[in-house]
Amino acid sequence: MSVRNTVLARLRETLRQPHLPFPPAQSEPLTHAERMTVTHAPGDIWAQAQRFALELHAVKGSCELLETVTEARLSVVSRLQLWLEEEQAARKTVDAERPEDWEVLCWPLDQLQIEGLPLILKEVGFKLIEPTDLHDPQQRDHIRNVRAGITTVEAAFASTGSFVVGGRGANARAASLTPFRHLVVIPFSRLFATGEDWLAEMRHAGKLDAYVRDSRNLSIITGPSKSADLEGNLTMGVHGPKVVHAILFDDLQH
Amino acid sequence: MQVDIHAPYKDRVQQALGDPNLRVAVSKATDRMSNARRASMDAIEGQQLRSQVRKMKEHVLSNWPDYLEQLESNLTRNGCTVHWAEGVEDAQAIVKDVALQNSANLVVKSKSMATEEIHLNHALEEAGLRVVETDLGEYIIQLADEPPSHIVAPVIHKRLEEIAEVFQDKLDMPPTREPTKMTSLARAKLRQEFFAAGMGVSGCNFAIAETGTICIVTNEGNGRMVSSMPRVYVVVMGIEKLVPTVEDAYLQLQALCRSATGQQLTVYCSMTSGPRQEGDVDGPEQVHVVLLDNGRSRMLARGYGEALLCIRCGACLNACPVYQEIGGHAYGGTYNGPIGAVTSPALAPEIAQFKELPHATSLCGACREACPVKIDLPRLLLDLRSDLVQQGASPKPEAWGIKSYASLMSSRRMYENLGKMASIGSNLYAGMSGGNIKLLPPPLNGWTAYRDFAPFAPKSFRDWWRDRKKLRRQA
Repeated sequence: MSVRNTVLARLRETLRQPHLPFPPAQSEPLTHAERMTVTHAPGDIWAQAQRFALELHAVKGSCELLETVTEARLSVVSRLQLWLEEEQAARKTVDAERPEDWEVLCWPLDQLQIEGLPLILKEVGFKLIEPTDLHDPQQRDHIRNVRAGITTVEAAFASTGSFVVGGRGANARAASLTPFRHLVVIPFSRLFATGEDWLAEMRHAGKLDAYVRDSRNLSIITGPSKSADLEGNLTMGVHGPKVVHAILFDDLQH
Repeated sequence: MQVDIHAPYKDRVQQALGDPNLRVAVSKATDRMSNARRASMDAIEGQQLRSQVRKMKEHVLSNWPDYLEQLESNLTRNGCTVHWAEGVEDAQAIVKDVALQNSANLVVKSKSMATEEIHLNHALEEAGLRVVETDLGEYIIQLADEPPSHIVAPVIHKRLEEIAEVFQDKLDMPPTREPTKMTSLARAKLRQEFFAAGMGVSGCNFAIAETGTICIVTNEGNGRMVSSMPRVYVVVMGIEKLVPTVEDAYLQLQALCRSATGQQLTVYCSMTSGPRQEGDVDGPEQVHVVLLDNGRSRMLARGYGEALLCIRCGACLNACPVYQEIGGHAYGGTYNGPIGAVTSPALAPEIAQFKELPHATSLCGACREACPVKIDLPRLLLDLRSDLVQQGASPKPEAWGIKSYASLMSSRRMYENLGKMASIGSNLYAGMSGGNIKLLPPPLNGWTAYRDFAPFAPKSFRDWWRDRKKLRRQA
């Protein structure tokens, strides 16, 4: 008998024993109706956006709340320019400017729902890197020194300051992982009060199972990378981004 | 001083107690994590969360084989390769074969207790592969050639200056105790490894049966790196790490994070449902999942199934006064603290292989109060002691002593007479030793080797009670 069949048969035989101390013979599943929502974020969408900002700040991230797409567009550009200046100022060598400073690892920018953004970024001088195959050594090597990444999200949760990024198609997982700084653009239409609300909506629409399966990879991210392994001292940017900045904008006004 | 995990139990405990750095580092960290857990659970309906996660996990174990089959079927449907491993050798061979078949000479690993359990690093290194631990704490102890000493904080036993010495010695770091500089150095070194590795290995915090999804939880992002960058990704998961639905996974995730570090959510929860498909920019081309039994089904049959509810948060370690004193290495197994004192003997082929561990407890119940799934650890520890006695594994003098005690307690006259004799004798002896007894004859010298023995009260409770009744009657 294969290992699989041996293990399964052993478990079945054990569970059939009448006096087994554990688990209880009658054990019901946790139903959708009874499952609790652990955290809460009451209020309208602006209250939820403010809560998101508060929670993200609490875990050392930063956030802007904007009323229009135009403001969001300007904010993305100015944030990237600010980071560029910070990088160059922090560099100790004389050749303060390097070509890769202007490179930004990103998902296809049409997904950000900010019209005109690619054009304005290019005009300012940023070079948008949209890799097609990161197992290709050349492309892999190229992204190694890119210092900033831009993505949008599948969903964001106000009550914990978290967001979900997917990893399929042109949406490189690396964009939210390998750069030192991650700029995440979140339209209000993707902001939910809680993770449970998002899951309930997906479940209700009958999409949850297929969505999780087809995504290949989903990551729930709550703030910048960190560790307390050095005797409890909090250090940021251990492997993932050291800086996570969210730009939330109201795309629901009309 | 490093604890020699291969030394006998009492020697390990002595070594741990003799290391002041260890006790300071462990107490400081466990206090911090315990306080954070308490605050985090108090901020929500913490009791309800514990009850619900327990209910969900109980249901999984009641239907264990069915959920395993569902997971296997969905993983396969998603394009993953599922392997089953009965024990250590099987599991080692499976991972080694996958690495060798893919010519993966460099393996990057995310922290995993299941791979510690099967001594995977050692096996892969013996096969000529280079293995790099990528969790910062695990990286440090790999450099220091030590095993982890805590389920979620593997380097909890080391102080900053000791870690700095390891970095200076092994990574040629210029002298510094600046945590940010040390972290930057580790980031730079490990980034090269992530980009060069042919295979990533992780454990599994929980697997979702309905979708065939492997979830790993980290704060640093190494879990995402390991599961995204190399061409081959291997998951070694204990067969009990199952949740039925995505919603159950999210519930358990929150219980885990709050109980482990007091966070609402860890920075990253990475959920992998399969290998990269055509058109995907990145992600592994192969995903292998090793379903590891290694004693878990035996543990259920032995009656210790409740410990299989464990979600590996480490809260019981942080709450345990024994763990706070001796740290993790003194336990001598992969798992330590109260859950380790149950799991190590219960998983082992013979319980007696870890016969000391059920006694490495004060039975105070702090672990039970801290556990996010309400595992009754003190009761399981007592059950283990009972099983050890049944199997004749307890020391002969102890068995003789317990029998004598039982016969003494069944005779009131004998009990009272012996009590009087003990009172007279101990007070006489204590008077000569200046108040407390400093040294008792064998076999009682085990007590006085570590602490004084207070003499019996001059008057027993029964005598005092009789006198009191007499006085009342007279009044």
